[in-house]
Amino acid sequence: MLRVRGLSLRYPNGKLALSDFDLTVTAGEFVVVLGGNGSGKTTLLRCVTRTVKPSAGEIWLDNVDLCALEGEKLRRARLALSMIWQHPSLVRRRCVLSNVASGALGRHFTLRTAFGGLPRSELEAARVRLAEVGLAELADQRASTLSGGQAQRVAIARALAQRPQVLLADEPVASLDPEAAEEIMRLLQRLARTERIAVVCVLHQVELAYAYADRVVGIRDGRMVFDLPRGQVSREAVHRLYLPEAA
Amino acid sequence: MNVDLAPPRLRALGNPAWRRALASAMRCVIALLGLAIVVQAFLVVQARPQDLVTGIHGMADLIRRAMPPDFSQLPATLWPALQTVDIALFGTLVGIIIALPLALLAAANMTPSRFAYYAARALIGFTRAVPDLVWALLFVTAVGLGPFPGGLALGVHSVGMLGRLFAETIEQMDMAPIHALELTGARRIQVFSHGIIPSILPSLLGITLYRLDENIRSSLVLGFVGAGGIGFQLLTAMNLFQYQEVSLLLIIIFVIVLGAERISAELRERLS
Repeated sequence: MLRVRGLSLRYPNGKLALSDFDLTVTAGEFVVVLGGNGSGKTTLLRCVTRTVKPSAGEIWLDNVDLCALEGEKLRRARLALSMIWQHPSLVRRRCVLSNVASGALGRHFTLRTAFGGLPRSELEAARVRLAEVGLAELADQRASTLSGGQAQRVAIARALAQRPQVLLADEPVASLDPEAAEEIMRLLQRLARTERIAVVCVLHQVELAYAYADRVVGIRDGRMVFDLPRGQVSREAVHRLYLPEAA
Repeated sequence: MNVDLAPPRLRALGNPAWRRALASAMRCVIALLGLAIVVQAFLVVQARPQDLVTGIHGMADLIRRAMPPDFSQLPATLWPALQTVDIALFGTLVGIIIALPLALLAAANMTPSRFAYYAARALIGFTRAVPDLVWALLFVTAVGLGPFPGGLALGVHSVGMLGRLFAETIEQMDMAPIHALELTGARRIQVFSHGIIPSILPSLLGITLYRLDENIRSSLVLGFVGAGGIGFQLLTAMNLFQYQEVSLLLIIIFVIVLGAERISAELRERLS
């Protein structure tokens, strides 16, 4: 499904943000990436989405190497990837339903969608997506009125409207209270299982990784430290990810 | 033990008495500079308040001759009044249509290239720098007398004002939802219509209403150069010494300006 091979990113100032990184995530798998601040977790996701261009390596999405694509071809290939962030990034003045349906815009380029309209079929599908994340009753509410947890669930519904094969989540629970954070993690885990979506989730909360991940990947200084099934990841190994440089 | 290694002059500045004296001197210099600026302004405009006092009877005579306003001319002034408002509406609409895409190019966070950014900024700056009266003269030459050149003049001049304010609004908006939409695979125009416009719509409407209000005031003056509306009627009445008609026109202008200002303020308040 998603295969990352020898991925490296060196910034123009010479700093190596990612170094020879390998990762494979299959359909239905829930992988959590752990690491300290500046370890390269978010850079990894940004490279996978091709928001930044890696200096070296390959990103295979099924049989397509994203690193070899540009322009329209890249846009089309990227439709299979969706992303959620720490902040839900909703258009606050639009209703929840429109926000969710806008996730499908990449598949519909018509006069209607070019001028702010949304396909009726996608609006219907968006209602189903909202029901999946448990927010069907909020469809017509403005996004600005939602709580943090609700907004993040709407962002997930929008990501699903894209019908992705891979869902990338960059610290999706960082700004949520523990209850809401658990809710989001349960939802992501369920989506991986039922929708057969490959989920890659960057987290800081080690306990959530132990509770929900199928596999845990440790990253430090842009390098992979471990890639193990949840049960085989020791507390010491995780602890070492967060130790200061000198240690 | 602390040793003060600063040069003697710097040490003197550290003395509170010196600091107070320096602050007083600075205040005096600033006050003198302010006074000099005011005095030069009086000199440059050749201000002669005594002339105003001696000439006041001339003004009083003019006002006396303008009274009472000639309300019999009211039906004949309604059409030019409507023209004045419509020149402003037309100009504002033309301004929005041109300014919105230009603003996208002129916003640092949305522009597709540096060349487009500087070109758009230059165009916006140019349309703003040339006064609307000059634009009106140009368009009167091109399309003849009447309200149309007035509308065009206001439209082009509005591009400058609206373009700059729209671009600033776009630059200040939250980019996270825009990046999110881009990553869904939405095209540029879809990101614009589904992300940018809904996010900044209240600001855009507020700016537009403010500009419409300004354009209504400007369209009154444009008539003086033959660009139609009530301004043209006012100029004709003054040239023909029809002061009672002039006073009627001034009343109508007052009502239009005040009405537009109130409506614009009310709508902007509701939007905010």
